[in-house]
Amino acid sequence: MFDIYLPIAELSVNLLVILGMGGAVGFLSGMFGVGGGFLMTPLLIFLGIPPAVAVGTEANQIVASSVSGALAQWRRGNVDVKMGTILLIGGIIGAVIGVQLVKVLREIGQVDLIISLSYVTFLGIIGTLMLIESVRAIRRVRTGGPVSMRRPGQHNWVHGLPLKMRFKHSKLYISAIPPLVLGAFVGVLAAIMGVGGGFIMVPAMIYLLRMPTNVVVGTSLFQIIFVTAAVTVLHSVTNQTVDVLLALILMIGGVIGAQFGARAGQHLKGEQLRALLALMVLAVCLRLLFDLVVQPDELFSLGPAFGGH
Amino acid sequence: MIWRGIPILMMTFWLLAGPLSAQEPTEQIESDISSRNIAIESNFTGQRIVIFGTIENSEHSEFETSLYDIVVAIRGPKETIVIRKKSRIAGIWINADAYTYANVPGYYAVLSTRPLGEVANRTVLNAYGLGFNSLNLRPLGPNAPVAAADGSLNTFRAAVVRIRQDDGLFSYKPEGVTFVGRNLFRATIDLPANVPVGQYATDVYLLRNGTVLSHNRSQLKIQKQGFERFVYSAAFDHPLLYGIAAVIIAIFAGLMASVMTRRD
Repeated sequence: MFDIYLPIAELSVNLLVILGMGGAVGFLSGMFGVGGGFLMTPLLIFLGIPPAVAVGTEANQIVASSVSGALAQWRRGNVDVKMGTILLIGGIIGAVIGVQLVKVLREIGQVDLIISLSYVTFLGIIGTLMLIESVRAIRRVRTGGPVSMRRPGQHNWVHGLPLKMRFKHSKLYISAIPPLVLGAFVGVLAAIMGVGGGFIMVPAMIYLLRMPTNVVVGTSLFQIIFVTAAVTVLHSVTNQTVDVLLALILMIGGVIGAQFGARAGQHLKGEQLRALLALMVLAVCLRLLFDLVVQPDELFSLGPAFGGH
Repeated sequence: MIWRGIPILMMTFWLLAGPLSAQEPTEQIESDISSRNIAIESNFTGQRIVIFGTIENSEHSEFETSLYDIVVAIRGPKETIVIRKKSRIAGIWINADAYTYANVPGYYAVLSTRPLGEVANRTVLNAYGLGFNSLNLRPLGPNAPVAAADGSLNTFRAAVVRIRQDDGLFSYKPEGVTFVGRNLFRATIDLPANVPVGQYATDVYLLRNGTVLSHNRSQLKIQKQGFERFVYSAAFDHPLLYGIAAVIIAIFAGLMASVMTRRD
């Protein structure tokens, strides 16, 4: 009854299921303050959406969620525009490389594998690190020990690089190379995985670039808007894998879910929230790994032939 | 002189043809489809079509109604596909061997009054392309002959048919055509939601004792309509504009969300 035909994915899905998924992931992203792309893309793949379409469409959805997030940060003055611009220049270069990579991988029939492998790798690492960190934090709170975070040192190898620039908002005087490279790396991930890349960007900004924590989230969201917008346009042009109808349904679900999630998040403790998120990340990782390792029922797969006219 | 000759010529033809057709009336098949145009819109979840028709000059009597066999074949637009087989490499299942097949029908359904093997022999079925075994599936490319030698080609060919069947795009209903009257028949087929768009041909064959007596073709067009068509053609014909529009929609949605958040 609520089935809806997706014009680009070329299959019929239940509208309520997609809305619900958008809402659930939106709820989590509102609660944890994360983008949610790294959960939504695998969920879309589990639902039967072709992985390349899931990635392209999810990038489109992240534009919407990061616009509203970045706007809220902007009002509080938490965006370092100069740093964000350097990051997004790198990000767009990375997006161009990533989209071409997806094109080549589609032609040789390995795109599904690389998307899954990227997810298993990154979700595994991030999930494990988050779990360790949050369990430690919970233990510290229980034993009543000091809740002091390890202060990052004043100088590291990043400060020895050339092309130094002054970032007033972040109170930094560092080389432009690390943010460019970081931006490019996250841009490639955005194009291949359909994620904003905040889960890489935020820790890297804190520990690698030594940016003050108050501007980290705003600046990350600021550059995510532009990078995911670039990824959306590039995937549309190169691979025709952006399904606007699917993206729109996800956006509606996501917006509603995020409202409730943000409220629910205020009543929960940070460490337990992070532990919960870590467990979910690891569950998605294991599910993807399972599909790669266990012998599939059908060893053969059909796909369209590219360029063979 | 010439004008006077024509009636005589016509008489001759009538005399020649008349007695012959009286002895052996040739059976003809007439058929049509319930819908010649199918529109894929946002509520499309597949569609049922009915192919129906009648046998002209039938020799079916009240008591004998199984002289003829009818086979219906629905063929979708041909496409070039790649089939890949996964192998275990370093502990994970990776696409390894691949073959490209040209001219694979995007949709292929065969319905008959009884199993094809009983309707006609292999030669006849192959000549008319009836049944999965009669599909001309041969791989393209330089690695194809090597595969043919070791016999693995058959497993690839079988996999193409099997996957298409699992997707609902290939089907075979050996009792899918039924007589509803002495000479009136009908066949029902459910097109799935993932049916490819394009020009389809619906062929109806009339057979008796393993030989095709008559053949009738109707065209069927499946196309995206309305919003679905608009989105699809925008994505493939104007991809840059499509991408920019997708971003603008997303930005607008984000701004809307942010307005909603601010209110409370």
